[in-house]
Amino acid sequence: MSTFAPQAAKRLRLSLPATTRQWTCRACAQQRAAFSSTSRSSEQQTTDRKSTRDEGTTHFGFSTVAESAKASRVGAVFSSVASSYDTMNDLMSLGIHRLWKDHFVRSLNPGIRPAFAPSGEPRGQKILDVAGGTGDIALRHLDHATNINRDSHTSVIISDINPDMLAEGQKRFKQSPYNRDGRVSFLEANAEDIHTIESNSIDLYTVAFGIRNFTHKDKALREAFRVLKPGGVFACLEFTPNLSNPVLNAIYKRWSFAAIPLIGQIVAADRDSYQYLVESIERFPTQREFMGMIKEAGFLIPGERGDGQEHVGWEDLSAGIAAIHKGVKPA
Amino acid sequence: MRNILRVPPTIRPLLLHASRAPYHSYEHVQPSPYREAEREILSAGLTHVPTHGFTHEALTTGAKDVGYLEVSTNLFPKGPFELVNYYLVTQRLGLKDRIQFPSEKMGVGARVRSLVLERLRANVDSGVQPRWQEALALMSLAENIPASLRELRDLSDEIWFLAGDTAVDSSWYTKRASLAGIYAATEVYQTTDQSADFRDTEEFLDRRLEGLRTVGSAMGNTMEWVGFQGGALVNLLRSKGVRI
Amino acid sequence: MALLFLRETMPVVHLSTRSRLTPLAFQLKARNSPTGCLGRRQDPLARTGLDLEQKKYLESALRVNQAGELAATLIYSAQTPPLLKSHPSLRNLMKHMYEQEAGHFSTFNHLMAKHRIRPTAMYPVWSTLAAGLGWATGVMGREASMACTEAVETEIGEHYNNQVKELLTWVEARQARGEAVGEELQGLLGVIRKCRDEELEHLDHAVENDAKEANPYELLTGVIRAGCRGAIWVSERV
Repeated sequence: MSTFAPQAAKRLRLSLPATTRQWTCRACAQQRAAFSSTSRSSEQQTTDRKSTRDEGTTHFGFSTVAESAKASRVGAVFSSVASSYDTMNDLMSLGIHRLWKDHFVRSLNPGIRPAFAPSGEPRGQKILDVAGGTGDIALRHLDHATNINRDSHTSVIISDINPDMLAEGQKRFKQSPYNRDGRVSFLEANAEDIHTIESNSIDLYTVAFGIRNFTHKDKALREAFRVLKPGGVFACLEFTPNLSNPVLNAIYKRWSFAAIPLIGQIVAADRDSYQYLVESIERFPTQREFMGMIKEAGFLIPGERGDGQEHVGWEDLSAGIAAIHKGVKPA
Repeated sequence: MRNILRVPPTIRPLLLHASRAPYHSYEHVQPSPYREAEREILSAGLTHVPTHGFTHEALTTGAKDVGYLEVSTNLFPKGPFELVNYYLVTQRLGLKDRIQFPSEKMGVGARVRSLVLERLRANVDSGVQPRWQEALALMSLAENIPASLRELRDLSDEIWFLAGDTAVDSSWYTKRASLAGIYAATEVYQTTDQSADFRDTEEFLDRRLEGLRTVGSAMGNTMEWVGFQGGALVNLLRSKGVRI
Repeated sequence: MALLFLRETMPVVHLSTRSRLTPLAFQLKARNSPTGCLGRRQDPLARTGLDLEQKKYLESALRVNQAGELAATLIYSAQTPPLLKSHPSLRNLMKHMYEQEAGHFSTFNHLMAKHRIRPTAMYPVWSTLAAGLGWATGVMGREASMACTEAVETEIGEHYNNQVKELLTWVEARQARGEAVGEELQGLLGVIRKCRDEELEHLDHAVENDAKEANPYELLTGVIRAGCRGAIWVSERV
């Protein structure tokens, strides 16, 4: 009863009478205060302000939080949505995120065709899928390598900071043949520091809809550069803060700010987490800025010309709702 | 409003003003359109074209030759077409070193002819001629047409420039357009030419150039006649006292 | 003499009371504003030579100049016969002005061919319009012809002056970085300066020859100046 009441309250946004409020368990109340970025208690804000004085701050959605707090806040968001994550994505993007992911993986073409695999060398590719908890991308990588390129050696390491999300992935892979062949492994790690993976060991580093939650994106990019082999590819699929067409952009913003938190509230009973998702998209750098960050980390940007004439170092998807960025580590 | 009406980036290359190397400076070396890594991979890839054709295999093998991985071909979003484009760009830029005009007396028309032949000979010398139909097929794919046309236009411009043509009036456009048409037709003809030393291609080119000369001089004569008649008419009216 | 008052660093105040930014200059200004990580700072060409924006500026500037000089020669050559019929005393002046314009035209033709810049696609249109304008004002008489000259040269003079100012900022930027300015840029600057001074000299001749007496003066110069600005705007682009 004590867990049900606040859930129902959240679902309907009822203000419960004071007596009902007492039923709410303490932990839930705290968690709720932590998610709520738009209507946080003044008490919370004062603690935030105190911590800003001591260390650097970063953004959490539209609010500013201490850098050390962001990871745990994001962690809390994803722990709470883990089980319904893929369903929610379907509802929010009308299933289009599947097409984006399919296109993302197909364009990367993971796996090595037998014709190009010289005998003697270790065969297959080593792919690292960061922030890939539910295994969505990893499964596509393995399917593509196996079915398209006839490569049964390529393996994927799924890395995520959040054990709840990883658990979802483990559940999904339990029944698959890839798990039996040892072609998939799980790693709980912060993408800004993946010291357990040695330098120059990865062929392909992918991160889909994850990098916007990183506190230090530049650090993560440098870490990606470190673990990749020379010639290895960094690839990122992410939402963009603004669509190229201003009219569509206005409509899309309306949709995302009004509908997505509402859908979150109805389906997952968790408005604030989805409010965070929308706000974090807004705070992500534009395609051009993000391309600059990838370049800064040392990567070669595909599609960019040497004489500075063309700068199409990314690929827009669905009129620029999301974009694919790639970088190649120079050999 | 400006933003809404902006030309979408996909069709921008089709517009006249877009992305042609502007203002050729003589004091500074023009930067290469390709970066070091791309140059290495693509030129290694081109050496595999005679065996693999303009395919992903050639590109991947080229990348592996110079120490890159299979997955590194993600550097080239257009895949094998990048091989074609790289070939076109390097041959265009290399054209000026392939040919020396011995005497100043050679006319612009004759120079254009030898430049076109030299460019076609490069297809044979580099060994891609038997595979050129694959390249043409790639170039004619919808997404590659703007880049192919741009390259054709640049080649035509390069040939007129190297031939020493200095006219900068309306004929600038007609000259480049007609030469581009002739070059494209001749190159298609060359892919099916079975004759020794591509003699048929040479004759084909001569017939096209002759046609251009005939039409061009007919146009010139007509314009001259119109101008002469107009001038005569004005003078006649003036002699009659009309104030014009 | 009007050109004595002209300072490159100042707007041409006596020609036009409004200090106007040409569309091209405005675009360039907007483009040069910091645009994140792809700003000029990181462009390797910025240190070694002309960068892409500067090349684009030069390309459209030279194209407009050539089109302008083409129009000027055609205006004078169409104006001269009907004008001389009624005012034979203007023969020497018209000849002098025409020859200077023809000189500019061939200078810019040479520069266009050398730097591989395409001519404006409106070439035949400008030719027709310029010849028509010259002939019409010539027929209207001495004052109208001179008012036409005044209007055209005002616009062209201001246009050249803006170019000189832009090139001078490049030269200054380069000197501030301690680099050689380069003969190409110096040469261009010299050519444009010379053209500007000669165009303004024509302006003075026109005013000396009662351009202000033309009737209706405001309407005539207004229309011609608006036409010039429109043509410049178009030629910068196509």
